[in-house]
Amino acid sequence: MEILCLGLNHHTAPVEVRERYAVSGTQQGTVSKEMTSIRGVNEVVVLSTCNRTEVYAVAEDLEQAAEELKSHLGGGKGVKKGDEEHFYLRYSRAAVEHLCRVVSGLDSMVLGETEIFGQVKQAYQQALSTAATGGILNPLFQKSFGIGKKVRTQTTIQVGQTSVGSVAVDLAEKIFGHLKSSKVMIIGAGEMSRVTALRLLERGAKSMFVTNRSYQRAQDLAKEMGGEAIRFDDWEKSLVEVDVVVSSTGAPKAVVHAEQIERVRRKRKYRPLFFIDIAVPRDVDPAVGEIEEVYLYDLDALQKLAEEGKHQRKKQVEVCQSIIETEVESLLERQRSKL
Amino acid sequence: MTAVSLLILASFFTGTAAVLGWKAVQSCEKYRWTWLWILCAFVCQSLVLGERGALRGQCPLGDYGEILVFLAWSLSIFYFVTGPAYRLSLLGLFSTPVVTGMQLVAILPGMMEVAPLKAESIDPWNETHAAMSVLSYGAFALASVAGVMFLVLNKKLKGQQSGLGQGLFGCLPPIRSLIDSVVRLTWIGLVLLSVGIYAGFRMGVEGSGTHLWIAIGVWLAYIALLGIWHVFGMTPRKMASFMVVLFVLSLLVFAQ
Repeated sequence: MEILCLGLNHHTAPVEVRERYAVSGTQQGTVSKEMTSIRGVNEVVVLSTCNRTEVYAVAEDLEQAAEELKSHLGGGKGVKKGDEEHFYLRYSRAAVEHLCRVVSGLDSMVLGETEIFGQVKQAYQQALSTAATGGILNPLFQKSFGIGKKVRTQTTIQVGQTSVGSVAVDLAEKIFGHLKSSKVMIIGAGEMSRVTALRLLERGAKSMFVTNRSYQRAQDLAKEMGGEAIRFDDWEKSLVEVDVVVSSTGAPKAVVHAEQIERVRRKRKYRPLFFIDIAVPRDVDPAVGEIEEVYLYDLDALQKLAEEGKHQRKKQVEVCQSIIETEVESLLERQRSKL
Repeated sequence: MTAVSLLILASFFTGTAAVLGWKAVQSCEKYRWTWLWILCAFVCQSLVLGERGALRGQCPLGDYGEILVFLAWSLSIFYFVTGPAYRLSLLGLFSTPVVTGMQLVAILPGMMEVAPLKAESIDPWNETHAAMSVLSYGAFALASVAGVMFLVLNKKLKGQQSGLGQGLFGCLPPIRSLIDSVVRLTWIGLVLLSVGIYAGFRMGVEGSGTHLWIAIGVWLAYIALLGIWHVFGMTPRKMASFMVVLFVLSLLVFAQ
């Protein structure tokens, strides 16, 4: 009896291929159970997320089992012509190491992300509840969760943000702490503003003002965010109240100038003000950043920090890999001694 | 144990807290035991002050060595009072080198009188004045430490420097919390200093009273600083810088 991992992910397959073999989040257990009825396949865990569909199985004849499992994933008719090349297949130790890499976030699109840990756990729980797992996959998955935790606690794989939006929100928290008492203003109701605003809301920001040249669009975004729309001519007045300003208009020249901030500094009692300028061309005059209590980060500065975050995480991959190899070795050693 | 041995032991505790805390920060981990090391040092400081108090028969603030130990002792107290409350766990990391330095200077030859004269009588106002004033300096010292932490983080944020989420900077509290702590600790110090100065007047001014007038000057400076902060507002960087400078200048009180 050996372990195999059959799957396709964002590294090997484009989204239009991945979606053909995706399994609904609530069906992972049922499909796992169905797959255990394939001859020679004893245990199965199906993992399906937006970036991957993988089948972990215990089988007698690995190659034959892989073909049968692939066919099952393709709805019993086999895989579509041309999709074959997008699948990967790993056996034994390589399959175990792959699972540990997945759980640890080393195989994720955003290196070191933590969401995958919960997704694997959920997939395993579903398979367990349908009795699709047994004496080999149960200890393997339990061990992989332990390794995933170890990788996260003993390395800095999840330290530092890797996207512009997350970097901006982290900076806001470094300035203001928890954002629940922070007021946010969005200048320009474009998609970039929307995404950044959503991240701020996720982290607790409660009060939000939205302004845009088209008042209707400001109203629409404000409604979606549970905030308040302000006419474009009036945004300066609200500057007294806000702590974070996200600016992303399509204006050809700067829309926020140092004089505008100077006018409200005293009324604000010189409280810190954080500008996130994600527009190109820039919306905020660089002179604004020279004001003592103003923290100004434009797209380049945010991207630089995000790149550094990615670089830091990549540097940790070797350390993580070494932890995984050591742990997998000790797991296999224990299994061998039991036999 | 002698006062010197106890101070060496206290310096070992605070020094260890500083080194281990710093190492933990370097490797992006939170060090949880700073409070324990400071507690051990606090016990040693209390024993030294108790011993010196028994020798003098009054509050042990008769020489520079005792003043330094009293300051170190008050810094330790304020760490326990404010550290957990303001989530400033790193305050320990920043204050332990200061406390260690004070203790080590206190054991230098000549800093502590070997055989201090025992007071014939105790003036409660004198005792209150001395104790409250030095305690207030503990609060001002910690406010300055928080001010330095603010300035370090602020420079990093303004300069858009990398590494904000790592090591020391990853553990530093947000700048808004830091500046709030500076203000709160200054208020605590001001209230204690007010009591100290009031007690100073009640005990009667001796000689030219330069010491008391400098203390009043310090008191007025802190009132002015807090007044401007609350009434007119001030940039957090200026507030933190003034706090650090004012604390250093206010140490002149002890030169008199």
